[in-house]
Amino acid sequence: MKQVLAVFRDELRRIFALRPVFSVLIVGSAFYAVFYPQPYLNEALRNVPIAVVDADGTSASRELARRIDATSDIAVAMVLPDVVSAEREVFARKIFGILAIPKNFERDLLHGRASPIALYADASYFLQYQRVAGAVAAVAQTLGAEIETARLIGIGVDPALASAASDPMQLTAVPLFNPEGGYATYVLPGAFVIILHQILLIGVGLLGTLPGADPAENATDDPAPGAFATVAGKMLAYLLIEAVILPLYLIALPYLYGLPRLGGVIPILAFAVPFVLSISGLGLVVAATFKNPLSVQLVLAAIGLPFFYLAGFAWPTEVIPPAVHVVSLLVPSTSAINGFTRLAQLGAPLADVRGEFLLLWGLTLFYGGIAWILEVRRRRVASVPSWAASD
Amino acid sequence: MLARRHLRPGFWLVFWREIDWLRRRPFLLAFITIVPIGLMALLTLIFSAGLATRLPIAVLDLDSSDLSRSIIRMVDATPDTAVAVRVGELAEGRGMILSGKVHGLLMLPRNLERDVFAGRRPEVVFFYNTQTLTIGNLTLRGVSAAVPTAAAGIRLSLRTAQGQPIEEAQAALSPIPVQTHALFNPTLNYVFFLLAAILPSVLQIVMVTASAYSVGIDVETRHRLRILRRLGGGLWPAIAGKVLPYTIVFLMVLGLSDAVLFGILELPLRGRGWLLDIAGLLFILSCQFLGVLLALLLKPTASAVSIGTLLTSPAFGFMGIGFPRLGMNAFAYGFGAILPGTWYLSARIDQTIRGTPLDLSWKPILVLLAFAVGLAGLVALRLESMRAHAARDASGVLPALQEAVP
Repeated sequence: MKQVLAVFRDELRRIFALRPVFSVLIVGSAFYAVFYPQPYLNEALRNVPIAVVDADGTSASRELARRIDATSDIAVAMVLPDVVSAEREVFARKIFGILAIPKNFERDLLHGRASPIALYADASYFLQYQRVAGAVAAVAQTLGAEIETARLIGIGVDPALASAASDPMQLTAVPLFNPEGGYATYVLPGAFVIILHQILLIGVGLLGTLPGADPAENATDDPAPGAFATVAGKMLAYLLIEAVILPLYLIALPYLYGLPRLGGVIPILAFAVPFVLSISGLGLVVAATFKNPLSVQLVLAAIGLPFFYLAGFAWPTEVIPPAVHVVSLLVPSTSAINGFTRLAQLGAPLADVRGEFLLLWGLTLFYGGIAWILEVRRRRVASVPSWAASD
Repeated sequence: MLARRHLRPGFWLVFWREIDWLRRRPFLLAFITIVPIGLMALLTLIFSAGLATRLPIAVLDLDSSDLSRSIIRMVDATPDTAVAVRVGELAEGRGMILSGKVHGLLMLPRNLERDVFAGRRPEVVFFYNTQTLTIGNLTLRGVSAAVPTAAAGIRLSLRTAQGQPIEEAQAALSPIPVQTHALFNPTLNYVFFLLAAILPSVLQIVMVTASAYSVGIDVETRHRLRILRRLGGGLWPAIAGKVLPYTIVFLMVLGLSDAVLFGILELPLRGRGWLLDIAGLLFILSCQFLGVLLALLLKPTASAVSIGTLLTSPAFGFMGIGFPRLGMNAFAYGFGAILPGTWYLSARIDQTIRGTPLDLSWKPILVLLAFAVGLAGLVALRLESMRAHAARDASGVLPALQEAVP
């Protein structure tokens, strides 16, 4: 136990003494907290510009265009004479949709015929497409229902029955957990977890490869700590550092950025323990594999993006090939992004993330065990104790 | 070995020295080949389905009528959603959402059928998880396509019951139908939208950090830099010889990922292939010179690699694929503008799925050209000023000695 504490104290000292480690763990955490959320802070995409090509030029067609412009999602930025010239504006990324109202739009409506309109929406960017297509469809539907009701009343149907006939069964869609459909609310909870994951992984990787990683070098009087004490002491030190950084990231930052949080603090912190320990174990294994701080930094830099998409957060797990999904469970981020989001954003009880929780404990044992074995082997290879050699 | 044969200083000497060097540094070679190819292969596997279909939702059927059963059948039949479970009460459905087993819950109220035909306009409620925005919206799309279809049948029978002829009733169902055409990506395929953009973003991280690393090692010891210049027989041949081997490797990696995208995943090439190639080359050069510049400005190499990582690894969000740049704040918009990837992705989307006319295609390519030229110029300026410094510092005697003994 005394040995564990000695390693623990020494590792904490190194976190603050080694400049690269300090920059990654402390400066990096602070930098990403401010930098990463910037693109998403406006939450919703509003007033996506579209063009209207009105071949009808009647009061009905102008009313349709006016109502579309009045939605918060899209704005009529241009009124153009034909679809061809509007297409060029789409190519120039000035507008993201073209609404074509054909000739005789009003006449057909007055005659009780279906009066179709055409929408060309830019699907090379999905969010813009979704806004444009959704808003136009909603306006056309509302306007259509009004017209239909008026017609039914015109042929002598009772007004109450007329509105029922035009919309006999309402569909009420209730968005849960992110009612505004905000993009920051969607991306940031998962992104904060992957940032924590990557920063800790790189930090531990650096600590394990920079000079002084072997606690025996730093021990002055006592006998050198054993392999188990070394691994355990280090992991405890990372747990303590994360006890400060993680609540800032998963509780304070969401609060500051105004993200809703339904879950309690205690389950989040309980879930965080195996999260931090499993990454620590993986970091120690990475350090023992690459042996060089620069290699650790380079290799870990590029893997954050794929890890994020593996978590089933932006892209559903159901359509990720099963074999890929199973292998991805070996990386703590997969279970962690899932678990933390459900605990914090959905307000799920800890029992609902049991699978993820246990899996992270399993990964802790797995990577901690490998780190321990590697440490034992390393000592056997360096049969002459390095402290004896260096004294 | 080849380097030994070309003893005359010049571009080729530096070029072959670099290749020799890469062969002796398996880690760096792996980092610029196996690592990006592996990550790209992983991402390709993740998105290989292209479309997210049959997402599981739960159904709470309190009516158990012909109507409610036919609604459930229709919801299950849309490509977007699949009815995975029937639940007995609301709390059970909520639990299914919280545990992540389903993405939404469709509730069909008691007496649904009776109320519909009595004209009481009952409500069908769909609860869906928008914490995962894309997935939630997909399930909503499925449900809101299916329920109105079921409603349309009822509306038709309500009208014919009023004595309206069937054709007229049919036409009156939807007075203003919208014919929506999804331009450029009609099936809304995620491979063309997201995967095709993520792959170059991963490569951007690798290119910037690897360039910072490979040059950083040369810069860390001052005399090495001078040797490099001596070997090149001048500033520009030395830079070109140092950079070009990596350019070739990155071109091959980008080419490989594009071969998979175009060849296997059938990404369309509606624009001009040669413009895409030019954009790719300029993108690679811009990233390389950005990395080189970082290595020349920041010491030690670890710091240059760190800053390179810091700039490029969160870059995907700034490049406006998921959330568009026009919706960003001024800082994010500005930062996006100084990333080579932003412009490369624009050019790429232009030339692949959009098939942008030639005269509207030049802007992102010219910006990339400006990046490549500008960054190369800054690299040269920095090298010149480093030499001037070195000349002032070393007072004549030492440098000759240092150069003789590397």
